[in-house]
Amino acid sequence: MESKLLLKSKRGSRRRCSLLLLAMLGIAPIEGFSSGHKAAAIGSIDAINYSGGDKQDGSVSGVVKDAAGQPLPGVSVALKGTSTGTVTDAEGMFTINTAGVGEPVLVLSYIGFESQEVAVGNRASFDVSLQEDTEALSEVVVVGYGTQKKVNLTGAVDQVGSEVFENRPLTNLARGLQGAIPNLNIRMTDGKPIRGAEYNVRGTTSIGAGGSALVLIDGVPGDPSLINPNDVESVTVLKDAASAAIYGARGSFGVILITTKKPSKDRTQVSYSSNFSVNERTVKPKLVTDGYAWAKMFDEAFYSWNDYKSHPQKANSVFPFSLDYLDELKRRQEDPSLPKVDIDPATGEYVYYGSTDWLKELYSDYNPSTEHSLSVSGSGNKVDYYLSGRYMSQKGVFRYNPDNYRMYNLRARGSVQAFDWLKLENDLAFTQMSYLFPMLNHPSNTPVWRRVSDEAFPNAMLRNPDGTLTENAAIVFGSFISGNNQSELDRVQIRNTSRFAANFLENRLRVYGDFTFQHLSDTETRLYTPVPYSKKPGVMLERGESKMNESDDKTTYFATNIYTEYEKQLGRHYLKGLIGYNYENSLLKSRYVERDGLLNSDLPDFSLMNGQNFTLRGGGNEWITMGGFFRLNYNYAEKYLFEVNGRYDGTSKFPINQQFGFFPSASAGWRVSEEPFWQGIRGAVNDLKFRASYGSLGNGNISPYQFLETMSVNKLGMVINGARPDYTQKPNVIPNGLTWEKATSVNLGADMGFLNNRLTASFDWYTRYTTDMFTVSLPLPSVFGASEPKGNYADLETKGWELSLGWRDQTGGDKPFSYDFRFILSDNVSYITKYNNPQKLISTYYEGMRVGDIWGFETEGFFVDEEDVTNHADQSYIRVSAANTPLPGDIKFRDLNGDGVINLGSSTADNPGDQKIIGNTEARYLFGFNTNADWNSFFFSAFLQGVGKRDFWPGTDNSLFWGAYNRPYSWHPEDVVNNMWSPENPDAYYPRLRGYVALNSRAELTVQQSKYLQNAAYVRLKNLTFGYNLPQSLVTKAGAASARVYFTGQNLWTYSPMFRITRNLDPEVIEGGDPEMNSGAGKGMAYPMLKTYTLGINVTF
Amino acid sequence: MSHFKMSNNSVMKKIVYLLLLACLFGCKDDLDLKPFDRISPSTAFNTEKDLQLYVNSFYPILPSGNEIVRGDEMSDYVVGRSLSNYISGSFTSSQATGWSWGDLRNINYFLEHYQQAQTTDEAKNHYAGVARFFRAWFYFDKVKRFGDVPWYDRTLDVNDPNLYKGRDSRAMVMDKVLEDLNFASENIRSSKDNTSSQITKWVALAFKSRVCLFEGTFRKYHPDLGLNESAGKWLGDAATAAQQVMESGNYKINRSGAAELSYRDLFTQETPNSDEVILAVVANKSLRVFNDANWYYTSATYGNRLNLTKTFVNTYLNRDGSRFTDNSGYNRVPFWEEVKNRDLRLQQTIRMGDYKRDGVAAPPDFTYTYTGYQPIKLTLDSKATDGVGENNNSLPIIRYAEVLLNYAEAKAELKTFTEADWNATVKVLRERAGIENAPYPVAADPYLQEHYYPNISDPALLEIRRERGIELVLEGFRYDDLKRWKAGKLLEMEYDGMYVPALDELYDLNEDGKPDVSFVRQTPASKVSGVYYFLIDDSQFKLSEGNKGNLILLSNLERSFGDYKYFYPIPFNEIVLNPALEQNPEW
Repeated sequence: MESKLLLKSKRGSRRRCSLLLLAMLGIAPIEGFSSGHKAAAIGSIDAINYSGGDKQDGSVSGVVKDAAGQPLPGVSVALKGTSTGTVTDAEGMFTINTAGVGEPVLVLSYIGFESQEVAVGNRASFDVSLQEDTEALSEVVVVGYGTQKKVNLTGAVDQVGSEVFENRPLTNLARGLQGAIPNLNIRMTDGKPIRGAEYNVRGTTSIGAGGSALVLIDGVPGDPSLINPNDVESVTVLKDAASAAIYGARGSFGVILITTKKPSKDRTQVSYSSNFSVNERTVKPKLVTDGYAWAKMFDEAFYSWNDYKSHPQKANSVFPFSLDYLDELKRRQEDPSLPKVDIDPATGEYVYYGSTDWLKELYSDYNPSTEHSLSVSGSGNKVDYYLSGRYMSQKGVFRYNPDNYRMYNLRARGSVQAFDWLKLENDLAFTQMSYLFPMLNHPSNTPVWRRVSDEAFPNAMLRNPDGTLTENAAIVFGSFISGNNQSELDRVQIRNTSRFAANFLENRLRVYGDFTFQHLSDTETRLYTPVPYSKKPGVMLERGESKMNESDDKTTYFATNIYTEYEKQLGRHYLKGLIGYNYENSLLKSRYVERDGLLNSDLPDFSLMNGQNFTLRGGGNEWITMGGFFRLNYNYAEKYLFEVNGRYDGTSKFPINQQFGFFPSASAGWRVSEEPFWQGIRGAVNDLKFRASYGSLGNGNISPYQFLETMSVNKLGMVINGARPDYTQKPNVIPNGLTWEKATSVNLGADMGFLNNRLTASFDWYTRYTTDMFTVSLPLPSVFGASEPKGNYADLETKGWELSLGWRDQTGGDKPFSYDFRFILSDNVSYITKYNNPQKLISTYYEGMRVGDIWGFETEGFFVDEEDVTNHADQSYIRVSAANTPLPGDIKFRDLNGDGVINLGSSTADNPGDQKIIGNTEARYLFGFNTNADWNSFFFSAFLQGVGKRDFWPGTDNSLFWGAYNRPYSWHPEDVVNNMWSPENPDAYYPRLRGYVALNSRAELTVQQSKYLQNAAYVRLKNLTFGYNLPQSLVTKAGAASARVYFTGQNLWTYSPMFRITRNLDPEVIEGGDPEMNSGAGKGMAYPMLKTYTLGINVTF
Repeated sequence: MSHFKMSNNSVMKKIVYLLLLACLFGCKDDLDLKPFDRISPSTAFNTEKDLQLYVNSFYPILPSGNEIVRGDEMSDYVVGRSLSNYISGSFTSSQATGWSWGDLRNINYFLEHYQQAQTTDEAKNHYAGVARFFRAWFYFDKVKRFGDVPWYDRTLDVNDPNLYKGRDSRAMVMDKVLEDLNFASENIRSSKDNTSSQITKWVALAFKSRVCLFEGTFRKYHPDLGLNESAGKWLGDAATAAQQVMESGNYKINRSGAAELSYRDLFTQETPNSDEVILAVVANKSLRVFNDANWYYTSATYGNRLNLTKTFVNTYLNRDGSRFTDNSGYNRVPFWEEVKNRDLRLQQTIRMGDYKRDGVAAPPDFTYTYTGYQPIKLTLDSKATDGVGENNNSLPIIRYAEVLLNYAEAKAELKTFTEADWNATVKVLRERAGIENAPYPVAADPYLQEHYYPNISDPALLEIRRERGIELVLEGFRYDDLKRWKAGKLLEMEYDGMYVPALDELYDLNEDGKPDVSFVRQTPASKVSGVYYFLIDDSQFKLSEGNKGNLILLSNLERSFGDYKYFYPIPFNEIVLNPALEQNPEW
């Protein structure tokens, strides 16, 4: 608390204040900063001038003035803990009734000034002087190896505080960060609670080695998905090369700095929060569930693909089908008194005439989650501490053997001021996450959605009359019902950082050091036991394997930083220098064990298995990075700002002669509003700063050993001499003369404040050139016999901008209403400027290509009649049926090049046949809108997030979108069924119903084309919170300091232009599949995104 | 100032302590890290075990079980759901495949390094022999597919000008193949492998007989190559190699078990019959190594619904040794009659008579068959694996029967085939098939001449070809045989199926009292349970005499096999990358 005390005692001298602030900043990496936060200063004695007089008849009056002694009108004066309030008049005078309040405290607030709390005591009248809000000036942001005053920043840096995560039950920090910072692009491909995020800053990074942003937690790389969101104080993004250069090769595509909370000062604070949520899928597809309606359409789709010549004999793999069956199904449907299950006299097997809603069987309607979190912090004379714990659990979406997510966080942090000049700190974090996920027992290990879409026919049924599972049920998710088919993931991380901070020479010279040890254990056990089912009464069968496997990854990681900083103010010249050293070492050891033949499926243990088929594999890798870095800051009167950064970086991931690189950068800023000529307009535009930066970084985001000639040993898939032997084979061809990929970025920015910072705006424009990307060489003749060695062959250019606008204000009145808005918007596009594709084949990158471009045909419409088919260009390249005989209602493609044939040409950019660029998959215009409001103990916040432009091609095996056009036996969504071409409905969206045309290659809905390209832009109400601060009187009685209750909803509302076509897809879940399973499911068939309704409470003691 | 100095000193001291402390945290500064879960070329060739570890990587060059199951998809005696567009469609060089050379690089890399091993020359030569066996296999495949191909016996560097060289002549490449095979058969260890899964001297010799027979007959029947003079030398090598296998005494034709099973048992057992099966692709249920034969043959959609044509089934002899096609009216015999009293291999190749699955009578199922001659040779009789690729029957890659047939054919082509040779080869196979009389043939079969080999008049050679067709049916030999006999035109043969006496009748194909199929122009309103109504639509499915006769299938499907198709085109892109390769004629 020394800083605050110092601040108070030196009241009146802004420069000295800021100097002291700066002095304090030095230790910020240790002490931390609640930067960006407006802390209400508790009124202290020197803020109140007594004007004498005794307190009379329970009312208090006074005058509010500014620091220069001018009265302030319109200041809000509220009696703390009550709903009583007033505003000052034109002379700055107020009177307020305090009758009945034991120890009245007045809260005075006015926009542009620091708010104050004043204990009335037994005074009846006094003057109050409000301090101008210096927050905008003193606000600091976290930067690499330190902090910096926001006004002095010259790079592109953005920061948000803990308010982003407050009152939101988050399974992962990333879900809370989405949309919070412009051009921090977080895409989470489904709603699975363990879904990690790739942190992308400013668009396409590299098409060679790849690379995402470096994420640091309190200065040390870490996994943000394993930290307690309630522990996070702030998140900063360093976007341009100049800000990130101090992190060298790993910061080439931006750096994300997560800073965790520090002990509270002076007093012991205990906070408890708890919430309970009900989750529901954002999208509940409406599918045909009537058995006969489905079967009729299945037959029709199959029949039409086969040119109306043959009917199906089976629905996919096991369900017998015939026209007789269809007739019988109809009869049974019309006469509900007939049984839904019969026995075929010929085979003795069950015949099903059901109308099953399989998704209802797969999913439960609602799934609960809960979170408890407790933190204790405080400080004594020379010690302080922060302890926090959290438990979060979420039951999953499935009805049977539902997935179950549990996360435990523990954090213990404390420091000792050992000597005046030395502070020691230790910070220990423990995280345990476990996730149980039900799986299919199917050889290809596809996600459940693929099997459900392929084998769960409404006329099939889940259970036989005797309660056993049917064969179709056994295929689709019988393994969920029979149990013991699941993955159990356990992740345990222990992380400890010890730090010291020392200061010398009256705090002008400071030395910091830290050492981090981290152990991460990641274990996944997958258990498969055969699924029992029955096809005949009394005869049980089984499907699937009996086996178990376990993968066990252990990562041991050490990191150390030591750096020193010197700063000096000489008149109006300010100079700060930093120099340091960083070393990191990570060692991963992996193990994989698999065996089959469980003796007892209820006792899954490797010692209780007797299968001959077993696997035992090891593996892992190790890397080291080390680097020396420096930074120099200079400014003149906080008006002209300069910064130079550099790092000499080494990594074991590169070949010996390329292990080290030097990466410099420079930036400058000009605070125009500090110029004398600006004074006249400061009232309107109080702050204006221009920034520019340039820097070049190597890309070290690659996996180890890529440059070594190595030979792996694997198990052969064949049986030789009674066993599956191991084998090794030729090594990959290693190129000569590889060098680092390089990312060079230019950034221009401006920061503005209007109306005493009520309105703030910030804009950045940038270009990033990623050159020498590690990609394919020119193709060699196949006789080479190996894949061509990659090399530094490609270049890429990404241009973008980002904008953030903020507004905050407060009304007067006895019940002031304060509110703020923040709007962010960002965009970027990338072009390939060099690539080894001289023919410009459009199947891969080519020079001049915009990343994400979608090539496709132009849909002209549907064929109207036979004549139309005959007269149209030769369209035989595109298949509409087995014999490829187009009929009215089939899709007509435009002959763009007018050659009378619809084809791909040579599939090059110069000769694309009848294809053109019909869209682009890259998400553009990512935006976020956040608003908060407080009134009379009520608070409200809302957060909207979205994407302004994104094209999406539904792709094959996407039954949610295509229905029977994909596989005839697949789902039949109502959106599709109601919008199909027929002679009576020639303007329908979908063409003549034909199965397989959205699945088979070259078929009419498989080829990418303009009409069915979807606009996957969206806006989503990510968060909506209403809360109420319980009355102080009540809270105090309960022995607490404050308490609030709130309701939060997440993902409550979504709009996407795609919804005009289908409501079966969530615009955020269109990537498809489940990364933990094998691929094979179409886009959108993934773990559903969840809508969450939460009730919560926070109590502080 | 002195005060400043003093404090400066203590500051320095403190900083030095701090730095020392920091260094205690341990910073190794060696950035040279080697992977610990992979080996490197310098450590991969030290011991005999290392050589064994490496040569194991060659085995996937052998056909997989699934490839064998599909091996005869493109042949004249089967008809399926669809036809390779090599025969039916507009195949062009941009669809061409098979020009992949990774396996060769892998072999040559081994041959460049194996001498590093600290072991005996005998051991080194054994492994080099295995490697060269596989190189011969690799190049034999390439020559069969493309004709002339570039020969490489070392790994190529990125900048090697030889990447851009033209093709070497077939003669030169095949001489190299023969060199490799000779080295292999002289150096690979000669002990017999009772698991039928490893490369031995005998595997190399048996394969050599296959390669030499192919090359000899190919040169003989493709005189346009200008290599026909050397055909005799290759045929002689084929006969010699086969003879070495025959004289080794290691192998014999399987006669164990019931006569009705001794042939099919070779294809349906998990443990290969090492008496007859020289090399197999081994399936193993407990190791979960499978093929998908059942799925392929019993799914309407997964597999190609492959079945035999009537023209081919007609070539199966009667049990008494007489020709079925010599019976008058042989072409108008209904299915359940024609399959009686035939070569026992017929009932071990297709569904007929009292064939049962899971103990239940299983007549031909027109859900899967078109012609009525539905194969069972490679499938299992249990339905358990019908919908999944989990067949655990090992499938032969090389078996002794082929060696006998190679020997017989080579000798016949050389015109040195004797009755003793007949008795040692074809007769043995016919006896296993329950054929009572198998005398040395003296008269050419007019049926075979008319339908298959009009240019062959040697009665023995015709019978050897009949025998090869029947004995090796569905094992993946046929397309190569057609190529070397220059009989590609047979791929244009009309597809025919079983004889249909009349429309709208119910037929009981296995005479179990339950009708199985009815051929109709329109599905009747009331249907008999268990009957498949086969729709004669007069376009895809016709009857040879209008309302009766043999099924004629897919005659709407264009098929053509011009002489240029004996060689595949080289992929278009490869010609672009290296014009010196020159495309095969007419592609």
